[in-house]
Amino acid sequence: MSSVNVLLPQQATILDITEETPDIKTLRVVGKEGLPFDFMPGQCAMLSIPPVGEAIFSITSSPTCRECLEFSIKDVGKVSSALHSVVPGQQIGIRGPYGNGFPVDEMKGKDLLFIGGGIGLAPLRSLIGYCFAHREDYGKIDIVYGARSPADLIRKSEVQESWAEEPNTDVHLTVDAEFPGWDKNVGFVPTYVSDLGFKPENKIAITCGPPIMIKFVLQALEKLNFTPDQVITTLEMRMKCGVGKCGRCNLGPVYVCKDGPVFTLEELNALPAEY
Amino acid sequence: MKKIIAREKLPELWKSLSELGPLFLPVQEGPVVLFQPWQEGAETNLDTTNTAVPPKDLFLPREETYMQYRCKGKELEVIPAEEVKPAVLFGVHPCDLYAVEMLDKVYMEQDPPDELYKKRRENTTIVALSCASPDPFCFCNDFDVNPAEAPGTDVMAQLKNGSVLLEAKTDKGKALLEQAGDLLEDGSGEEFARREVKTADFNLKLDGLPEDLKNRFEDPVWDELFKSCLGCGVCTYVCPTCYCFDVEDFGHEAGGERFRCWDSCMYGHFTEMAGGHNPRPGRKERVRQRFMHKLRYYPETFGQIACVGCGRCLRSCPVNLDIVQAIQALGGETVEQR
Repeated sequence: MSSVNVLLPQQATILDITEETPDIKTLRVVGKEGLPFDFMPGQCAMLSIPPVGEAIFSITSSPTCRECLEFSIKDVGKVSSALHSVVPGQQIGIRGPYGNGFPVDEMKGKDLLFIGGGIGLAPLRSLIGYCFAHREDYGKIDIVYGARSPADLIRKSEVQESWAEEPNTDVHLTVDAEFPGWDKNVGFVPTYVSDLGFKPENKIAITCGPPIMIKFVLQALEKLNFTPDQVITTLEMRMKCGVGKCGRCNLGPVYVCKDGPVFTLEELNALPAEY
Repeated sequence: MKKIIAREKLPELWKSLSELGPLFLPVQEGPVVLFQPWQEGAETNLDTTNTAVPPKDLFLPREETYMQYRCKGKELEVIPAEEVKPAVLFGVHPCDLYAVEMLDKVYMEQDPPDELYKKRRENTTIVALSCASPDPFCFCNDFDVNPAEAPGTDVMAQLKNGSVLLEAKTDKGKALLEQAGDLLEDGSGEEFARREVKTADFNLKLDGLPEDLKNRFEDPVWDELFKSCLGCGVCTYVCPTCYCFDVEDFGHEAGGERFRCWDSCMYGHFTEMAGGHNPRPGRKERVRQRFMHKLRYYPETFGQIACVGCGRCLRSCPVNLDIVQAIQALGGETVEQR
């Protein structure tokens, strides 16, 4: 067959499953022969589990990891809930990659400030891993990551041990309230970003998290004098096709699945705020 | 290649053409005319104005199963649907083909092409019928649609003094006329009548409208316009340029199918995300989305307004919240009342 229906999934197999938090699991997934496809950080994939259906998830592993794809999935809907019940060796459907990904070339030579909240770390983690694998291309890396409680932080050992030990890298953790045994910052992510007083010179800020967090992070960055072209975020919308046709993620003249999900704040400001 | 056939012999032609595959043509179904597969004795209606529903479902079916799945233990098997079979679409009006060209831009020209749509397009031979008598809701003149000519058709047809004149425009069209063999007589001496078809004049000022709407997302017009909308979605159902779809699974743990079907931006669930967040939570946002997509977003990407003036939304909307009313409310009109 010369042409293929892009909506057809290929088979992928669950390698293993990590319970990250009470409602988030990370699935490691392989295609028939290694990775199902090549991709860039920030891109997404459609995962399916019949008869429940399909949904779009960001790929959380770095493309420099050649073993498998990783997805950190929060149990919030029908498909994500079904994906929480898979077992190692089980086959699921996968198709992709979808979306534009982060502008890794334009970011070269810059200091990077990652700001993540809760499950919002998932797409950032792909880029963070990519930047560590190309460490000489990027300047100072700061990672601000927060969640409601210590139990809600994902990839805890990786964040606290591996990332914190990378050269020229600082990790700043925060949770919303005091918890026994928690000796890091207490407070909301946007406030912590303000308190840390990052300087915008030669820096790009990349943020992802719950909509309310993003909203206040953007305000905090503006106060710190970051310009809209220095701020990057990645959107989440309902999607069915992933290829700019089914209409769900249409936002002004763009389709988030194909023209996004990664946008600079400058680009977002030109779009209707319907996300 | 031009051919001619007397109208009373058309059932014979249809019988012959239907041997190529399903032959869709306007059929009277109670009070409405719909494109239906021809069967012996079908009550065809070539004199109809626009059919109640456009023939977009030939290319983007209302429901289309594109794969079966089987699950056995931990294994998942995906079985693609069978190849699309050839079909013939007979008697489609020019406005509907202008609309198909707009769908082509999204489904075939924009990367990646949609293979399901593309195969149906490639496997369908189209016979367009020039439009002689528009109904009071037709306003295709506003969109520079020539009701006498159809872009991209394989055969152009015209009703003429008790006959149908047919001219092949493509190789596919030629093959179709050849299939009919002796049923068709030589029409090389015949000319298509030049017709000036006047459609309703709602005095729409469309020039510059897409550009004008760029800064009108927060316009107070939207606070009023949506109020009569019932959210029934019929406008999207009957619109030849609406193309949104849903994808769902149907079956059980061991096996079933995955299909896509028409969906509508007029429905609340359309954008509702897992977890409950909805970027277009109310009718205001959804009405705005639909009209902005037609009048501003599609034009920005493809250089033309996504409307052909077929008049179906004027005919079908129970509260008259049609595209003419929207364009007029947005100021793209003069004082003419309708």
